[in-house]
Amino acid sequence: MSRRLALYAGGLALFLLGAFPLIWMLSTALKPSGEIFATPPTLVPKVVTLENFQRLFSETNFLTYFMNSVVVSLATVGLTLSVSALGAYGLTRFSFAGRERVAGLILMTYMFAPIMIIIPFYILVKQLGIVNTRLALVLSYTTFCLPFCLWLLRSFFQSIPLELEEAALVDGATLRRAVWHVVLPLALPGIIAAGIFTFILAWNDFLFALVLITSDELKTLPVGVNDMFNATIVDWGLIMAAGVMITVPTIAFFAAVQRYLIQGWGAGGVKG
Amino acid sequence: MKRHALAGWLLLAPSLLLLGGLVLFPIGYNFWLSLFDKHAFMPVQRFVGLQNYVYFARDPEFWSSVRYGLIYAGVTLVLQLLLGVAAALLLNEGFRGRNLLRGVVLFPYMLPTIVAVTLWKWLLNDSYGLVNYVLVAWHAVATPVPWLGKDYIMASLVMASVWQFFPFVVVTYLARLQTIPPELYEAAKVDGAGAWRRFRHVTLPQTRNVLFVIVLLRSIFMFTKFDTVWLMAGEGGVSRYVRTLPVYAYARSFTYLQAGMGAALAVLMFLLLLVGTAVYFYVLRDDEAVA
Repeated sequence: MSRRLALYAGGLALFLLGAFPLIWMLSTALKPSGEIFATPPTLVPKVVTLENFQRLFSETNFLTYFMNSVVVSLATVGLTLSVSALGAYGLTRFSFAGRERVAGLILMTYMFAPIMIIIPFYILVKQLGIVNTRLALVLSYTTFCLPFCLWLLRSFFQSIPLELEEAALVDGATLRRAVWHVVLPLALPGIIAAGIFTFILAWNDFLFALVLITSDELKTLPVGVNDMFNATIVDWGLIMAAGVMITVPTIAFFAAVQRYLIQGWGAGGVKG
Repeated sequence: MKRHALAGWLLLAPSLLLLGGLVLFPIGYNFWLSLFDKHAFMPVQRFVGLQNYVYFARDPEFWSSVRYGLIYAGVTLVLQLLLGVAAALLLNEGFRGRNLLRGVVLFPYMLPTIVAVTLWKWLLNDSYGLVNYVLVAWHAVATPVPWLGKDYIMASLVMASVWQFFPFVVVTYLARLQTIPPELYEAAKVDGAGAWRRFRHVTLPQTRNVLFVIVLLRSIFMFTKFDTVWLMAGEGGVSRYVRTLPVYAYARSFTYLQAGMGAALAVLMFLLLLVGTAVYFYVLRDDEAVA
């Protein structure tokens, strides 16, 4: 009995640790400005208002930042997913000398810290004349999203027995048909999971966007919101509303693919 | 059926081209860059050999950034390890709501850093923060603690970072815990081992490998962490009390616009990591579990 009690007490503590700060963020975002600074603070707002969200959309460039984040993250997903699906298929379905070494090299490229990459990356992008463009940002996200996807998809493809594909081929299917009708449906959950994690990685990035983007109309959410924070008087209601808006897509996507996470994680996948 | 090696390489070609051009080439260029006196965006550059490195060897700010980096990485590593392993052990037990909790625990890790940090700055706000309110109301402190002032900024940064990154330890450790054969625990129980001894003699030896990897990865990630540290302390004011090596490298490159110097700092960080990793492997070389 006491053991069960301890388990639930621990579970509750862990729940509060993980979720309470987020609940507090939501609560602050829904309060009118007077109540935000009230003593004692209220957990459930006495007056629930969407005023902060409304101001976020009407008085700031939040919507622009949001759209930029969506465009850049989706472009990153499109690029890395298509390239890495081909690559991972090549890595698992064809044997050639040096294959394992290539796989190791890919993992190694993933271990370089972003701060090591951004300095030369900025100089090179500057010389190419594409600094302050979405293209530069998407390419910079490829530096960490591509190795991540390759590694994750490689482990997914490895778990699909080669025999299934061979059986289809023996039955007279072309390799293209075998891949399309046998491998792809089986790999689809993995591909979707990789796509969503890539989206989250790109969506959350701060450093590359901070360095590569200078004009306000191209800024993505993290940098845009940080600018709001640096205003002389910090508008907590507004900032917490922005926090809620940035978090919603992440949490929603994450909830959708949570069960694949452990698999990807086990495969050596996540950096940060 | 024949699968040609050439086809494998062709499928890999786009990946390798992108990784070569976007990661390996820039990293190589970074080493080259560190030998120049180079402005971050003016086209002037002057070859100076190892002069940047000589400068940093005598630069007190460099040494203090190494020290802050070691403190930050070391303390956050220990705390996230303790918290993460404890949480994983809990989540490995059977109880109602466990699956939901496994998801909730990951939230902090999935949040954008900007959200995690602003959230903690709000919770730790001197005058209106919830933390100070609770501490004062419960008479734990007489006056509000200046969490974001110079004396407490490192503690606050550590707190926010541990919160943000302990889920990584939870998931990784939990994944391994789930593969331990239950028979081992049953046998230990039959032998009369209590909970602590079962952890000590079954769980710990079984999870040595994964702990080895977790410690390695988390140390590297924390030592090279930029965004959490930079966002927490900003660029002026208290930032010098938490200026770790990656933040210093950023400041040299993009605030002082000395890209050559910044590149040299990035190389130094890389070398420190290389040495650290080599020592780590060397110290644990006799550990048969690791091999």
